[in-house]
Amino acid sequence: MTAALTLESVSKRYGGFDAVRDLSFQVPKGSICGFLGPNGAGKTSTLRMILGLQEASAGRIDILGAPNGRSVRDRIGFLPEERGLYKKMTPVEAIAFFGALKGLPMNEGKKRAKLLLEQQGLGAAQKKKMKELSKGMAQKVQLIAAVVHKPEFVILDEPFSGLDPMNQQGLEEMIRGLAADGATVLFSTHVMQHAERLCDKVVLLARGKKAFEGSVDEAKATSPRFLDLNGAITPEAAAALPGVAGVETLSDQDGVRRLKIALAPGAGGQETLKAAFLNGLDVRGFALKEPTLHDAFIGLTGDHPDQAVTPSETAQ
Amino acid sequence: MKRTLLIARREYVAYAKTVGFWLSLLAFPLFAVLGGGIPLLIRSAEPIKVVAVIEEGPAATGLATAVRASLQSDLDRQTERLREAAEKGQAGAGRAVASISGPKIRLVAPPPAIAEATGPARDAAIKTALDKETPKDRRLDAVVFLSRVDGKPAAQVWTGRANDNDVSGFIRGALRDARRTELLTAAGVAPAVAQEVQSFRPEVKAFSPNAASGGEVSMRDRIPSFIGLAAGFLLWSLVITGASILLNSVMEEKSNKILEVLLSSASATEILTGKVLGVAMLTLSVLVVWGGIGTFGLVSASPQTAATVGQVLMHDGLVFYFIAYMVGGYLMYAVLFAAIGAFCETPRDAQTLMGPIMMILVVPMLVMQMALTSPDAPVVKVLSWIPFFTPFLMSARAPSDPPLVEIVLTLIGMFATAALMVWIAGRAFRAGALSDVKLSWKSFGRAITGRG
Repeated sequence: MTAALTLESVSKRYGGFDAVRDLSFQVPKGSICGFLGPNGAGKTSTLRMILGLQEASAGRIDILGAPNGRSVRDRIGFLPEERGLYKKMTPVEAIAFFGALKGLPMNEGKKRAKLLLEQQGLGAAQKKKMKELSKGMAQKVQLIAAVVHKPEFVILDEPFSGLDPMNQQGLEEMIRGLAADGATVLFSTHVMQHAERLCDKVVLLARGKKAFEGSVDEAKATSPRFLDLNGAITPEAAAALPGVAGVETLSDQDGVRRLKIALAPGAGGQETLKAAFLNGLDVRGFALKEPTLHDAFIGLTGDHPDQAVTPSETAQ
Repeated sequence: MKRTLLIARREYVAYAKTVGFWLSLLAFPLFAVLGGGIPLLIRSAEPIKVVAVIEEGPAATGLATAVRASLQSDLDRQTERLREAAEKGQAGAGRAVASISGPKIRLVAPPPAIAEATGPARDAAIKTALDKETPKDRRLDAVVFLSRVDGKPAAQVWTGRANDNDVSGFIRGALRDARRTELLTAAGVAPAVAQEVQSFRPEVKAFSPNAASGGEVSMRDRIPSFIGLAAGFLLWSLVITGASILLNSVMEEKSNKILEVLLSSASATEILTGKVLGVAMLTLSVLVVWGGIGTFGLVSASPQTAATVGQVLMHDGLVFYFIAYMVGGYLMYAVLFAAIGAFCETPRDAQTLMGPIMMILVVPMLVMQMALTSPDAPVVKVLSWIPFFTPFLMSARAPSDPPLVEIVLTLIGMFATAALMVWIAGRAFRAGALSDVKLSWKSFGRAITGRG
């Protein structure tokens, strides 16, 4: 599959601080790619370099065949992390204005705006001022403004932040819809569940460096399966079982513990469980768990995705 | 270009829709009308005061006649002014001036109740005559008793209102004239000669080789200086207004997180140009409306002055110099203010840099007034070479025909500085728009040098 976006050894330096270091990855055409990392990992800086809002200190970027987003501006849709629209405009006016900046005729923009607002359940809000809309509604309007011109490449910076679960679900559907219409979507997030549900591919970033690039399943495969054991079992006894890579005590109530046992690579869990019974351990409950993207992220980066990098390390 | 125009259009419409814009659009003409018209209206609407003049005793004989003669002289002078204004095609302006300057007094014979009474009875009769409750046909606005103190004319003026000084002022002038005539006559000057001395108004004519006629200085020669000063002040206020609108507009977009979306849709140059153009159109609209109202007012009041102003503006392409200074001045300050706005989210943030800039802008305001009387004074000439002052000071100087080389070189300097400002502001704007760094001279400098 041809790449809509290619980054080769891209770096961004602010004064003495390396915000992005030697970053290389590709996003195939028509795919949904999650750009994952904790706050301050360099996601926004990378997206700004892709868009051409900031110059890369080193490396090469190719987006839709151009060296940066500036020269293919009209073919890109962008939703920034910090969102805002003109407060005194109506949603239709705002969407049509930003569409017009991307080359869409104003009247066509207004027509599409009305249609998309209806589709997103915002038909009644068409004539209200932006300042009268709720945060969720305004965020939907801004996303519509970013895609009203039917871009080939959509970049969304933390699109789910600040949205309630209902609106998050609505936004996931919108993103799937964009990809179904042929657009390539690259979105940044530090919430792994969205990436797990949506992405064909993920790129994990930690402290400005790429920690992983591949499919969600490939990412998960880097992390061990888990065995949850419940009973009067000591962590030491659990650690002695075959195929165990590590043990974490989740709870302990008068010696009755819940243990999270990380299995060694290649271990299926059945052997470990069988040995536990054969060794006479007091197993009162058990469950075999597949790793999540969250687990994979922690395993790959050593960071918790919700944690921010220390302020001194943030890009700006 | 299309994106620039779209941004300019949005900028224009966003402000043109606000109540504040219409208020400021109408405020200037309204204040001009109020400032000039209301005193005129008050004065012209002021009723003519009915005044009774009484000579007290034989020593005062002749003083009432002198007062009447003085009033008649004032009325004759007013009639003369009206006639001259009509001859010059300035009947409206002449009427306006006459309505302000003419005497508003009518002398009547004193009522017998006052003229024949004495002591408390006379005082009571005066109070009755001045009382507001007295029927209008018997009411007086003032009663004046003329007398002599130590042989010199004196008066006791009773008025209905304690703070009414109009009648006192008129009587004082009339008695001064009377005394002068008396002294001249006493010195052996013939009464006719004394009268001639009294009414003599010397005719002084100013001549200059630089006058339009080549000799006598006329109103036509004085108008250019006033036009220059007015153009300088107008330009100053338009530049400040336009640049402030831009500063607030960019600051609002920065605080509302719109700038980053805009930057993903258009280049920093397109955004900056669009905004500057939009506000320029806004400023131009204000100028056209103010100019239109001013022209209408001037043509209505004084067609000849209006024609002279038109001639002055077209003389040696003066109007084009004004336009050039306006464009350069606006561009220099507008882009600078927009760049500052890109670093600020609140007006308090902007104060760091705005303070020194505003202090700089006060300088031409002070020097422009000097340029009215001494356009070639060294301080005026030197300061007009500083590009940030050039638009205002050269606008004020331009009508006094400064050397062409000065005009050309200051224009070049101003536009070169404007181009430099556009470049600096473009860099700062882009850096500021994407940055959370608070504005300071240091952060501004880092943005300009590309280290921000």
